[in-house]
Amino acid sequence: MTELQAEQAAVVPRIESQSQRSRYRDVLIALVAFAVLAILPMLTGSKALLDFVIRCSAFGLFATSLNLLVGFTGMVSFGHGMFFGLGAYGFGLLMQRTGLPVPVGFVATLVITTLIAAAIGAICVRLKEIYFAFVTLAFQMLIHSTILSWVSLTGGDQGLRGGIPRPAFLGIDLSNHVHLYITSCALLVIGLLLMRQIAQSPFGYTLRMIRDNATRASFIGIDVWRAKLTIFVLAALFASTGGIIMALFVSGAYPEFAYWTISGEGIFINMLGGVTTFLGPMVGTVLLLILNDTVTRLTEYYGIVLGIVILFFAIGLRKGLMDFVVEWYARRRAGTGERG
Amino acid sequence: MTRTRKPGVSRRATLAMMGAGAVTFATPWVARAQAKTIKVGMPTILSGRVAQLGTSSRNGVMLEIEKVNAAGGLAGRQIEMVIRDSKGQPQEAARVARELVNTDGCEILIDAEASSGAFAVHEVARDLGVLCIHTNSETSALTADPKQHIPNAFRTARQGVHDSIVGGSYAAAIAKAKGLKKWATCSPDYAYGRDTTGEYVTYLKRFAPDTEIISESWPKLFQPDYTEVVTKILQAKPQALYTCLWGGDLTSYIDQANIYALFSQMEVFAVNMADYTALTVVKNLPKGIHSGNRYIKTYPATPENAAWGDAYKAKYNEYPTNWSWENATAIMLLAEASKKANSADGKKIAEVLRGLKIKSPFGADGTVTMRAEDQTLVGYAIGWGTTIPQEPYVPQVQAGDWKTIFELEAEWKKSKGYT
Amino acid sequence: MLPLDIDALTGCLASSACLVTQTTSGFIIGMLLFLVAVGLTLIFGVLKVVNFSHGAFYMFGAYFAMTAYQFTGSFALAMLCGAAGTALLGLIFERVFMSRVYGSDVLMQLLVCYAFVLIFDDVVRMIWGPEFKSMGMPAAFQVAPLFIAGGVVPPYYLLLIGVALVVAVVLGLGLARTRIGKVIRAAAHNPGMVSALGINTGLIYGGVFALGGMLAGLAGALAAPVRSLTPGMGFSVLIESFIVTVIGGMGSILGALIGAILIGMIRSFGSLGFPLFTEGLMYLFMVIVLVSRPTGLFGKEVA
Repeated sequence: MTELQAEQAAVVPRIESQSQRSRYRDVLIALVAFAVLAILPMLTGSKALLDFVIRCSAFGLFATSLNLLVGFTGMVSFGHGMFFGLGAYGFGLLMQRTGLPVPVGFVATLVITTLIAAAIGAICVRLKEIYFAFVTLAFQMLIHSTILSWVSLTGGDQGLRGGIPRPAFLGIDLSNHVHLYITSCALLVIGLLLMRQIAQSPFGYTLRMIRDNATRASFIGIDVWRAKLTIFVLAALFASTGGIIMALFVSGAYPEFAYWTISGEGIFINMLGGVTTFLGPMVGTVLLLILNDTVTRLTEYYGIVLGIVILFFAIGLRKGLMDFVVEWYARRRAGTGERG
Repeated sequence: MTRTRKPGVSRRATLAMMGAGAVTFATPWVARAQAKTIKVGMPTILSGRVAQLGTSSRNGVMLEIEKVNAAGGLAGRQIEMVIRDSKGQPQEAARVARELVNTDGCEILIDAEASSGAFAVHEVARDLGVLCIHTNSETSALTADPKQHIPNAFRTARQGVHDSIVGGSYAAAIAKAKGLKKWATCSPDYAYGRDTTGEYVTYLKRFAPDTEIISESWPKLFQPDYTEVVTKILQAKPQALYTCLWGGDLTSYIDQANIYALFSQMEVFAVNMADYTALTVVKNLPKGIHSGNRYIKTYPATPENAAWGDAYKAKYNEYPTNWSWENATAIMLLAEASKKANSADGKKIAEVLRGLKIKSPFGADGTVTMRAEDQTLVGYAIGWGTTIPQEPYVPQVQAGDWKTIFELEAEWKKSKGYT
Repeated sequence: MLPLDIDALTGCLASSACLVTQTTSGFIIGMLLFLVAVGLTLIFGVLKVVNFSHGAFYMFGAYFAMTAYQFTGSFALAMLCGAAGTALLGLIFERVFMSRVYGSDVLMQLLVCYAFVLIFDDVVRMIWGPEFKSMGMPAAFQVAPLFIAGGVVPPYYLLLIGVALVVAVVLGLGLARTRIGKVIRAAAHNPGMVSALGINTGLIYGGVFALGGMLAGLAGALAAPVRSLTPGMGFSVLIESFIVTVIGGMGSILGALIGAILIGMIRSFGSLGFPLFTEGLMYLFMVIVLVSRPTGLFGKEVA
């Protein structure tokens, strides 16, 4: 036991100094990415491209936050979509009913998400593996049927109608398409950067340890339950942010946002992009949305085409695209190294 | 441990790929519509459980588009329909609608979405200002609620409250004649089901004050099994039953209620029965179900209507649905308005559309009108009758009276705070 | 916000006619669910695969039965076609596709199933069209319902309950008593040892998947005369049978039976007492079971 602790003590500063360096690099990359996205509207007049990036922001944040659970902690949640829906409904309702300024509504939605996620998480994270998946799914369906039944608040199956008001703040007017676009990009980049920091922090390494061997983690004094609950709530916050972006994009919230299919799509995006790299889910998001948008243009038999693509990944590659690329790159580098 | 991480590599590769994706994806956006044709976008549901909604809407539209194009199109411009699947998801409906306008250059939208999808497209129309005709959503609030009102959105579908007024007065007459006092309702648990049933009951009680509702059931939309609601109704022993189940749900319900011999124990009023989708599918259709007309080619009993139904059948090898005529009407109105405005411009068409009256096979008196004040269709054929198990299925339809409908509708709007 | 109708519920519990009718109605709902759920739980127990595409087999069973009935007019042949067709489909599906993803990530297996949910729904749409269909009740069953202690019971539903109970007994005894049953249980427990003994585990896996598919197909075929057929019809059935297996315990046949009856009763009596929250009631029940007994009522503790 003491040996293990000593080992851990030695590992932590090394990780920290490493992460210090990589943190600067991450921030730099984030700034460059944001700058590239921000000048995009000046280069192209295409509203559809901006729409595409806004949707990528919403689903990208959602899918990446799911990967914090699935890929980093080994918690396969089938109900992560409930927080996407919660974000959309929470924000939409607050804006429609209270007339709060947008930033206040945003923060208030996140506070609500935190409370609900903590309550649901406290019950769910005790369970392991497939049972965790099922109980999260059950909660998702419970929230979905509550949204459908509570017509006076949520509008039932027709969703929040009549548009979401968005008073201008600090010179930002979210009913302006370009302003909405820039805001979505900013939320995406900041969200990804924060999640990257979580993943690279000592806490992130604790999560990986729980994923690989929860028993061992608890032996060296890690409170597994608390760590799992913390990441469950954090992931919910980013999913909720994705939902807020989606609510702003469609100017409403619909029960489909809280349906299990959104969770299923999140899992699918993760598998498509790959769960072992941080940006895998982001790549998966872009891939799925491109796939979705092009295939529905060409055929009404979308299911068959998408199904075959999934089979290609699941049976052909047996891994997500980013995983495949990373391995291929590593192999090639190893190969040239030998030759050189 | 097979999980390896090489963050540096992954990021660079990702950025490269995102770039590549953006480039390949940016090319189609350059393509612009030819000036001569006018593109009309149509988001609808072509996959999943209600794919029939999309296909029969599309059929209705295409049947009319051919005629319009043969006659010279919209102000000399040939119409090109761009029809896309939303899979029944509102966010996809919104996305598809935006893309149709922003990318494909569609100048007019035919919104053939149901329920929440229609409200999502409505928000897109509000945002983009494009002329939009809702063809399938029958939810009254879409046009009746002034908060929803935008000058560029119209509806050519039935409206729930019209149905309920006609249905309520028809049912009340029968209730009085046959002494039906105890009623039960069984409707799908979503906005359409609840609103329509609530309004129906209101008008039933208004015309026949001594009726009472003794049992309510609210099965889920697309619920496969209705046994528990069938038995619940049997327990309550009502004299009459109202249901606004539709499509496959209605046929399941009839099949399951049949083996409990429910139809011999009470009068059944099923507003959505008299549509070929349901009539032709049920194998043992009970005689004497009271139903509102959806689309049948024998009502209105005019040669124009019969000819339209036969032309549709000849082309698509099936009978039209309620959605077919609602969508066909959108195109008929568009063509007429564009002719009057002598323009294919959305704003000009919208101006003429308000209050426009056209000849129509689906009109109660041979015409239908796009009412100016709330931009929804009125004057369409609406009535009730009883079923028989073979063609013409509903031999006699008792027409609803539009004068009464208008009066009660105005009253209803006031009670809802809409006027 | 929960609309309660306690009077209706207690009123029903006090009347024998209502009690009989609602209880049989709970059994009818439960028994069809059981046929789907038992295949799901069997496949999970032996193959350790959560067969997400199980609803598609239910759908195919119904469509096969309807088509056979249209051509032959024989109800028995229709049932046979529904069951045999889906058994074959299950065998092919397992051997060609699922067998490639054993041992890999659970998510990959799920993904293969998800792919086939999408593909199968579209295939049905291509072959039979997007509109809903109805098979129609065979003339032999178009008879007046029976009255038992004042309650109403249709004869067709008696047949349905009977078939499901026979399946339950045969499966239970078959697994417990026969040699094949023992091999299957052994394969579920330790596949390596079974194959070391010279038994073809691939055959067992294929066989179990075919059996599971067949039961779902049989459920679909039995439901075809009373439920409308549409592409995607398997979906709501899949969700409910998931709830059943999770409540009963993944891998347990008895659990599937009890779980299915419980869900049937919740639906049948819940629709009296909680007309607007029947669905929510099922999820709530599932949450409660999972939280108090994560492995379900009859599931074995995971190591």
